[in-house]
Amino acid sequence: MVGFLRQTLEDLGKLLKPPRYFAWQTVIYISLFSWLMSLLARAVSATEFTVGLLATLSWICLALGVGWALEANKVRPFGIPIAPWVSGGIVCIFLFGSWGGRWLQPALVVWPLVSFAVVAVPSLVSWDFSLKKPQPFVRQQLALLFCLSLLFSSWFQFYFRIQAWVHDYPSLAADSVEHSAFVYRIPGQTTALSAGVTHLTVAEDLLREEVDNKPWPSVERWLLNLEGQRQLLRQQLHSQMSETSPLEDPLWQLDFQPSTNGDGYTLKLWAVWSGPAASPNGYYLEKTCQLMPISRAGLAPENASPGYSTTQWSNLTCDLETPRQAGHPRETQASG
Amino acid sequence: MPLNDVLSEPGIMPLRAVAFQSLLLMVAIVLEAMVLRQRLRLGYRISMQYAATVNLLATSLGWVAFLAIEAVLPPDLRNQIISYVLFNRFYENSWRDVLPVVVVVTAIAAFFITYWIKLQGLIWLLQLLGQKPIDTTPEAIEDNRRQRYDRARRAQIEGQRGHSPRALAVLQANAISFTAILLLLLLVNQPGVMGW
Repeated sequence: MVGFLRQTLEDLGKLLKPPRYFAWQTVIYISLFSWLMSLLARAVSATEFTVGLLATLSWICLALGVGWALEANKVRPFGIPIAPWVSGGIVCIFLFGSWGGRWLQPALVVWPLVSFAVVAVPSLVSWDFSLKKPQPFVRQQLALLFCLSLLFSSWFQFYFRIQAWVHDYPSLAADSVEHSAFVYRIPGQTTALSAGVTHLTVAEDLLREEVDNKPWPSVERWLLNLEGQRQLLRQQLHSQMSETSPLEDPLWQLDFQPSTNGDGYTLKLWAVWSGPAASPNGYYLEKTCQLMPISRAGLAPENASPGYSTTQWSNLTCDLETPRQAGHPRETQASG
Repeated sequence: MPLNDVLSEPGIMPLRAVAFQSLLLMVAIVLEAMVLRQRLRLGYRISMQYAATVNLLATSLGWVAFLAIEAVLPPDLRNQIISYVLFNRFYENSWRDVLPVVVVVTAIAAFFITYWIKLQGLIWLLQLLGQKPIDTTPEAIEDNRRQRYDRARRAQIEGQRGHSPRALAVLQANAISFTAILLLLLLVNQPGVMGW
């Protein structure tokens, strides 16, 4: 037990103590020291420049030291020398981490190119900062590596471009991408609700203002001018929704169709998606509402004429669920 | 914290594109290396390096061009690209009818632009490696004008002669790799292949 502890301590000491001055441990120590100094400088409220300079030195030494350590210890998973990638990653975190907000995007896009620079600079610039010309073999390697890092950078950029699409058209994320030849969604993630659901909810509220709790004859009159009401409802919906998703909004088309159901009507509200979709004929979301006349005898005054108590008022009740159907509502109606 | 957001919700990732493009690149590099080796009488290793460099260059420049053009396309056409990338199909809008023409014209343009990039890339690479087709070392001052003219003409002819097989080899290599890629794309777009 004691022997094991002593062995571990000796190993640890060997790891921490640089074998000579010119070693990776020295660089890490400089980085640590510089970082502590920057903390100290901040504590004694030195100028911004001093703190920044010390922090920058610390980051650069950290990138150098970690890269050196990985290279010196021959850390090569699958035979890939990862030292420049790790160093480049540290440099990118340092360069873009202070931006705040959406710093990850530029950092990831630039990362392969910075890593290429980490590899290229030592073979292109000599110790006295003069340019040198490496061997043709090295030049070939560098050209290959540059093209490769440009490709990696493009892939990252493509990833962020897809995220921008989904940001512009949030309903795309609610669709299935399993037939895509380009993208893959790791299963188990929560998928966003289609924006059509919001459209239907808002439309229901607008409809409620028009036909809920109104005298029944006025509702009947309202239903006479169907096309005009559709236009009006679309306009109102558009003015409410266009702020939240201006690009996606024109691709949603609201529609509704009443059909008689006993004394009242069944109103079918449709949000029809006319944008890119996984199913060949697009899809629509359907919300079913019941518009029924109810007698409100209780409201009638005591001494009212007999006909008054039979005045009927409208009542609108809508289902909560909005089932998703493939195709177009008008076409399926026509065929069915 | 944005990092946590990204790690918990990576969203839709272009993993299939990365995997498939790696495969296509390997096929293209091997095929083009074979052509370059035969046509230009290069070594196995050298031809692989040349083919890999020019193909990676063409691919990454193609990505840069796509990303730049996609950002400035009209929204309707952009939606068709989104539809193709995410759902592997085009959808009904005002561009639907002209899309086949657009795709074919783009593919033909891509072929010739890729050819030009590969040829230029090969010339740049040779210059970078110090293997210049035409020697441009400073020459001794020549007093005889006719001699200089003769030399220039000879150099021009030699230059053409040195240039031509390379251009032909790159053209052939590009044609073969494009054919292979097209075949693979058609194969993959058959429903049921590779479980997609």
